[in-house]
Amino acid sequence: MKNHIRELREQRGWSQGDLAEKLDVSRQTVNAIETGKYDPSLPLAFRLAKVFRQPIEFLFEPGKD
Amino acid sequence: MIRLSPQAHQRRVMIAMAVYVAVLLWVWPLARAAEAALPKTAYALTPVPPLLYVIWLMARRVLAGDELEQRTHLIGLGVAAAAVSIYGIVGGFLAAAHVLTPEASAAALVWIFPLLVVVYAAARAHAARRYGGACADADASAALRFLYLAAIFAAIAAWVHLRHGDAGDAGLAAGMAVVMLGCAAFLALRQRLRRRARDE
Repeated sequence: MKNHIRELREQRGWSQGDLAEKLDVSRQTVNAIETGKYDPSLPLAFRLAKVFRQPIEFLFEPGKD
Repeated sequence: MIRLSPQAHQRRVMIAMAVYVAVLLWVWPLARAAEAALPKTAYALTPVPPLLYVIWLMARRVLAGDELEQRTHLIGLGVAAAAVSIYGIVGGFLAAAHVLTPEASAAALVWIFPLLVVVYAAARAHAARRYGGACADADASAALRFLYLAAIFAAIAAWVHLRHGDAGDAGLAAGMAVVMLGCAAFLALRQRLRRRARDE
């Protein structure tokens, strides 16, 4: 699954650590989501949407499969 | 639950394991010499509290982790459970067929928990790397910590050998020193290879 987390985070001038703190997850988890190595659970996806004030479908795009 | 930093967690585990080894070398042997059942049992179970503390630290770390961390813990614990099961089945059949002596079987039982911890740590680190975690700097500090532990175990082995010449205890400490040295060498090599790959 593709996502726009990194772009949105950088637009706001946040570090991965800042975003991790807002989401109450580790920095490694933010990095794994941004690089597409890990797809977050639905509750975490909703927290991301809330933090960025964007709908979930704007944050994530379905991949080829 | 308050999340401990990886360094704080490792420091606590290493202190607990140092206490465990010290108890195993200096307190537990008294169980063999004691004759009454109560002190014999008490001495025999002295290594258990530091291990319970380590198990509590592991449980705390899993509970305080986020969803990705819990997933990597689960992978680590799954692989460790498989390794311990294989170890138990092989050891059990060998003991039942009297290939292993009762003393060797008891010694094999003592190694179940260390095996579980080592396999869990390795499998979890591997899983975390697949998700982009565990950077080279973490390897460097971990290698240094293993090197310190190797030096401590080597000093204990030398001290035990010179003090009362118990070959079993000195051998155990020397074996632990070699294992720690191997871990330090592995992590240092991995860090070097990763740095090289990153520079290219």
